[in-house]
Amino acid sequence: MVQETDVRPVLKVEELEGGWDDLLVLKDVNLEVRKGEVLAIVGKSGCGKSTLMHYLLGLLKPWNGKVLFNGSDIWSSPESLQNARKKWGVTFQSGALLGNLTLLENVMLPLKEYTDLSEHDMRIVAYSKLDTVGLSDFADSNPLEVSGGMQKRAGLARAMALDPELLFFDEPSAGLDPVTSGTLDDLIITINSTLGTTVVIVTHELASIFAISDRVVMLDPDEHGIIAVGTAAELRDSSSDDRVRLFFGRNLAAKKRSDRKCR
Amino acid sequence: MTDSGKLVYSGFTLSIHGVLEGMEIDSIRDFLDEHRRSIYDSGRLTLDFSDSPGIDTVPAVVLYGFCRELSRAGLRVSRQGASDVIEKLFETLDEFDSSAEPLKERFSVRDHFEHLGSDVYEFGQTLSELVHFMGETLSAFGELVLHPLKVRWSMVLYYMEESGYKAIPIVAILPWLLGVVLGYQAGYQMRVFGAETFMPALIGYSITWEIGPMLAAVLVAGRSGSAYAAEIGTMQVRDEVDALRVMGFDIFSYLVTPKMIALFCVMPFLVLLANLTGIFGGLLAGSLFLDLTPGTFISELGKALIPLDIVWGMLKSIVYAVIIANVGSYMGMKVRGGAAAVGKATTSAVVLSIFMVIIADALLSLLFIHIRPGLSM
Repeated sequence: MVQETDVRPVLKVEELEGGWDDLLVLKDVNLEVRKGEVLAIVGKSGCGKSTLMHYLLGLLKPWNGKVLFNGSDIWSSPESLQNARKKWGVTFQSGALLGNLTLLENVMLPLKEYTDLSEHDMRIVAYSKLDTVGLSDFADSNPLEVSGGMQKRAGLARAMALDPELLFFDEPSAGLDPVTSGTLDDLIITINSTLGTTVVIVTHELASIFAISDRVVMLDPDEHGIIAVGTAAELRDSSSDDRVRLFFGRNLAAKKRSDRKCR
Repeated sequence: MTDSGKLVYSGFTLSIHGVLEGMEIDSIRDFLDEHRRSIYDSGRLTLDFSDSPGIDTVPAVVLYGFCRELSRAGLRVSRQGASDVIEKLFETLDEFDSSAEPLKERFSVRDHFEHLGSDVYEFGQTLSELVHFMGETLSAFGELVLHPLKVRWSMVLYYMEESGYKAIPIVAILPWLLGVVLGYQAGYQMRVFGAETFMPALIGYSITWEIGPMLAAVLVAGRSGSAYAAEIGTMQVRDEVDALRVMGFDIFSYLVTPKMIALFCVMPFLVLLANLTGIFGGLLAGSLFLDLTPGTFISELGKALIPLDIVWGMLKSIVYAVIIANVGSYMGMKVRGGAAAVGKATTSAVVLSIFMVIIADALLSLLFIHIRPGLSM
């Protein structure tokens, strides 16, 4: 996982301010995503996780502040955003596969857009990506014919088609059973450790946060921004902030309950 | 020995230095093209990955394709010094090389007939389901007639505004233009025989019997039938229809009848409007191009038309309202899947509504011939 010596930020957010229409959601947000790490963005519902993700992905333009990818502002020119996007992979909450294409064709989409490989070579690459997520047998299936977990894995294969430097995950465990979401966590760890891909993951699943993240950034709706940064264990054990302890202490409540039952 | 940054070719060995990245495939291809001749001449090639910690899949497939080409030409190709990750990647590419062959699409005459047959069968199926659907809607409507307070009047008013009030401009303008064109063209031909005084009658009959009701129906089908299909289709995709069902709502009285009642209320008036502007168009054509004064036009028209002509068109429009509201809603309900299915439903709603409106019009015309005085032979 992350090496102590290499902490060059791949993605950097400086003094970001933004929101939807007139509604301020984020203010004075500073954030670094270091090369090779798994960074989790957490917080309760409505804290601005998805909004921050929209800014990181260049889907919204900041009201103020900058988003830098490998040191250059993604909003400095249309080309710089387009070039940055070639090096990103994004998996959306629902998988966001195109329903009229097969899984294989979905994975081939970015290859068609950004490379001039022959049809045959594109298919080989797409097959190998589907194989990475364990879906090569379902290459010719329609997205609607496979389960939700499989749709997300296919979405991950599509995100990895161009071997991105940076992979984004929006709520990968949402709507999945613990076993399936555990499989997805394992996949994320494997990709991160074998390929060295930097991962940014938006989630509120405590199990995932502890299992895969190197660092955690916690947002809060009242502060319109970040209230804590650190490893998951640090935030759980030694944060002085009640809101942070409350978030990570959900398992404490569960422990109390089981203690009470034992008595 | 030659090199291009990350690739070095010397002897029988192509050494890869560093990580080959996805966006470098053009330079990789150029390098391979440059050395293709000498590699072929040497008869073998070894890919040396000892100085390469990893490789992106896209450049790997370019190298893989080149090696495949060489071995097909009878050259000996091997790899050395590859890390587990790289070795695994090449094995995966090898594994899928054969399955990546696209399936050959074959088309025979027999297939075309099979498609035709299944399309006809599906169309019949759709029609029978639609009749069933209309039955359900009309029975829900019957229930509501007995208990008018149960009707969602706010929704009825909303749809009356959307499908009726907002359609007024287009329903006024198109028949008017058609009236002008029809009046001019017919009058011009009739003048050759000195019969231009019959032009008002021709305009009156054609507009009130056919053009007014039909044009209003086509416009409403295009504007509102498609909107109903898209609205219910999207609700279907987002499980909203199922949510209503499990909350115990009757889908027909909740979603379909408000649309149908709204169309009942507005369609006759849209037809009346289309008739008036269409006839006005004819009047305008007469006075502009044919020396028919408005007074003559109106008196000629008065001799030809009877009140039943106008009323019949308005009555027909109630049948059209039932068809458009039901076909739109039915196509929306049938949606399964995602965005593309909603698009298809919208198209089918418009096409099928217009088709059925024309069939209904043909049947009603047969009836009209027997009802209207002065028509039956």
